[in-house]
Amino acid sequence: MKEILVLAEHRQGQWRDITFEMLSKARQLAESFGSEVHAVVLGKGVANSTDALRPMAHRVLLVEDERLEAFNSETYQTVLAQLITERKPLLTLIGHSTLGMDLAPNLAVQLKMPLATDCIGIDGKDGSFVLTRQIYGGKINSTVLFNKPGPYLVTLRAGTFPVLQRDSLQGDIIPLASPLTDGNLPKRFLAYVEAALGGVDITQADILVSVGRGIKGPENLPLVKEFAEAIGGTLSCSRPVVDKKWLPKGCQVGTSGKTVKPKIYLAVGISGAFQHIAGMKGAGTVIAINKDPKAPIFGVAHYGIVGDLFKIIPALKEKAKGLKQR
Amino acid sequence: MNIIVCVKRVPETAEADLVIDKTGRDVIKSGLVFDLNEWDSYAIEEAIRLKEKKEGHVTVISMGGEEANESLRKCLAMGADDAVRLTDPAFEGADGYATAKVLAESIGKLPFDLILTGTQAEDDGYGQVGGALAELLGIPHATVVNQIEVEGKKLKVHRELEGGLEEILEIDLPALLTIQTGINEPRYVSIMGIRKVAKKEIKVLGAKDLTLVANETGLSGSDTRIEKISFPPTTGAVKMIEGNPEEVALNVLNILKNKGGLA
Amino acid sequence: MMERQESIAQKFDLYGCYQCGKCTGGCPVTTRSRLNIRRLVLQGVLGKDLERLNERLELWDCTTCKTCTLRCPRDINPMNLIIGLRSTLVEQGQIPRTLIDALESVYKHGNPWGKPRNKRTDWVKDLPDSLKVKDFSQGEQAEFLLFVGCTASFDPRIQEIAKALTYNLQRAGIDFGILGNEEQCCGNEIRRMGEVGLFEELMQTNIEKFETYGIKQILTSCPHGFNVLKNEYPQETFTVVHGTQLLARCLEEGKLSFEKEIKKVVTYHDPCFLGKQNGIYDEPRALLRAIPGLTLKELDRSRERSLCCEGGGGRMWVEASSDSGPRLAEIRVRDAIELGAEMLITACPLCVLTLEDAVKTSGHEEHIRVMDVMELVAMALGRSTTGSAF
Repeated sequence: MKEILVLAEHRQGQWRDITFEMLSKARQLAESFGSEVHAVVLGKGVANSTDALRPMAHRVLLVEDERLEAFNSETYQTVLAQLITERKPLLTLIGHSTLGMDLAPNLAVQLKMPLATDCIGIDGKDGSFVLTRQIYGGKINSTVLFNKPGPYLVTLRAGTFPVLQRDSLQGDIIPLASPLTDGNLPKRFLAYVEAALGGVDITQADILVSVGRGIKGPENLPLVKEFAEAIGGTLSCSRPVVDKKWLPKGCQVGTSGKTVKPKIYLAVGISGAFQHIAGMKGAGTVIAINKDPKAPIFGVAHYGIVGDLFKIIPALKEKAKGLKQR
Repeated sequence: MNIIVCVKRVPETAEADLVIDKTGRDVIKSGLVFDLNEWDSYAIEEAIRLKEKKEGHVTVISMGGEEANESLRKCLAMGADDAVRLTDPAFEGADGYATAKVLAESIGKLPFDLILTGTQAEDDGYGQVGGALAELLGIPHATVVNQIEVEGKKLKVHRELEGGLEEILEIDLPALLTIQTGINEPRYVSIMGIRKVAKKEIKVLGAKDLTLVANETGLSGSDTRIEKISFPPTTGAVKMIEGNPEEVALNVLNILKNKGGLA
Repeated sequence: MMERQESIAQKFDLYGCYQCGKCTGGCPVTTRSRLNIRRLVLQGVLGKDLERLNERLELWDCTTCKTCTLRCPRDINPMNLIIGLRSTLVEQGQIPRTLIDALESVYKHGNPWGKPRNKRTDWVKDLPDSLKVKDFSQGEQAEFLLFVGCTASFDPRIQEIAKALTYNLQRAGIDFGILGNEEQCCGNEIRRMGEVGLFEELMQTNIEKFETYGIKQILTSCPHGFNVLKNEYPQETFTVVHGTQLLARCLEEGKLSFEKEIKKVVTYHDPCFLGKQNGIYDEPRALLRAIPGLTLKELDRSRERSLCCEGGGGRMWVEASSDSGPRLAEIRVRDAIELGAEMLITACPLCVLTLEDAVKTSGHEEHIRVMDVMELVAMALGRSTTGSAF
């Protein structure tokens, strides 16, 4: 049976978690039809880090090239196109990340491969695959099938597939020659840059830690802020906090403030007035901490904690230490 | 600068109660409110700002039924110069790839320096059409763009990466960019503004105007198809997390890892 | 012949202004905003300094309370100038994001709260079986149309007032029905935000609905809806009353009798759109004075001088442009507490929301409670509730 290729994703010297999630799922799939998982690593000076992948792959295909130092879909597409054309793997998995979104659709068209994106489920079936995708903002799941034979290309949603603890596959590292040549690329990577810290736009944050009147006073904000920073989140708030000038107006969530749609909305000491909820109802997952079990926020939260935020936030901060931001 | 913006009219589903239709492959659309795809509103706003800065021409194009006129007129009212609608029963059921093929055929005949699309659509969320379209047209592309600077025959763009990081790229024109929300503030379109463009012609193209054969468009031209849809297992009522602060903290961090993309 | 564009001075009839400053002197937001209506009128007259309007966020601070217009000795309407400038911004599309969301929501969903049309009558489902509400859109007929309003339909706090109102109406023997899910925004705030086109469409659709259902009498408990229906909709086919007017009349005619004593000291806040703009001061007070055990005290700034709570003119959907000065609603709450009131009563949903907010932000939840006249009347009529409003 043909192998499953998994494009390992790394940035600034770190493997991204989606890599391990995909490898784990790929192994499960490969075992179900007696195939192998081959991790594909493209980069410059990444050879030493491939040890982290060996336990989870039967082989690690390594293409090192100066031109692959930072991600550029132009170079990645050239290398992968050649790899896939030569090896004809049954399935190639790429993360549905900013890298995957820049790469997969183009690769699929170039090689005329069927592509299913942002999948939250994938199962093998009769030499093809059955995918699960979310539509209508996550309110509906769709079961998707391919209309033609493979090789197939699928991008997987991050944070969906668990990394299962298994015995090590002890995959060999196979260096491959880079097909890249010098020449002007129509797209050129210039630099990475951190988003400005001051005046952070809460509408663009993935994780919001939002405080309400329950925080009681501005002296308690640093505690929450440190926790927010530890998890790569941004501080936001409900209107009373801005009224009292504990936080600037730009942090306010609500009908007369900002509408936010983060992946996570952690409501700390917020009761959940109608006008506030209207500003955050689009959040992916809402976790609410409030000492009042009848607080309206629990009506829109996915997870609720009735408790003392002054005990829970310090515990969260403690446990969050050592968590890397992506 | 000639800019083409690809837009889509989508249903608003966040507050609506969805009902699965008889085919079991889509939801009942009647009763839903439709609007221009959110990402596309940022794309069209960006195109118009680019036009306002230097001289230019903005054409907006959409694949859809006659009701797509509503979204096209909104774009015209915002300041687009021309609108094109691609309508044909043969286009129905298209996935991201089939959609890109139809767009590529129609755009292929128009002069352009830059094509803008939204990063993804609110309904199906493929995030595929922009990239596929660029590949079919043989032009470079960049996705999830949140800043554009024009430097003669090339662009300097910022892409929004994960975790608050951005990357800066240089890209030669002609090119295609998929636009991320937050790149600008889309202007309001007033009712009077819509009335002013009510009489403006929207050019309509069908399958006969393109060189694609029947099985290259719509459902038969798609590489994927939806077999069935269903409601995800109900999260329903809020899940209460019990325990002492330490237990609660561990629980919450697990959720943050799974749903928030933490390390 | 060349067409001369009407100047701002001509369009808004500003030439009579002699810069006395009575407008700014009465403007409630002057203390906390760069908005200076007297100066704005002068700029309008001279046609000067009106560039880059979109940067002048203070234009959105105006609550359209109309104090300036009411005080003007030259019968000029400075408020209309502000609304007119807002219109210009609306047509240009350069207005705050939250206002765009509210306006688009009204266009798409018939209400500014982003809620779907088919959930407009959800509040009715909570009513006990004994309180049946007729629905014109379902083919039922009634003497009065109760125009519920967007805020009462969707905001959980104000839904409680709508429920109390229906109880009161039933007890008073009033034959009423609602438009159900076919009711949509009255357009008062929309017009004041400057979206003329949208207002015209709303008005048109609403009038057609009234005609379709043969509606001759409308009653509403929202002063904003009352104001626009009475003063800006064509008055040929229907009459409008405010809930307090109708119930005060019922009280006089002996159709209402208060059974339960409410031993509280209360004060009444005159909503701008009911009081100073439409002269309804006595009816709410008549209802309150008739409640046994209730002591009604008057705030210093009452009736025409009532201090605007900053809920009108689109202010529910846009933040004040500057941080300076306390919120007017907080001043109001403080005044009520100093007066010795245990309850601050009003007759407008937006006042209730802003005043309740102010009670919370000034930390006075233990000291004073905000309620609507309708809620007190229902209590005095002996309505039993398990609801959180009490």
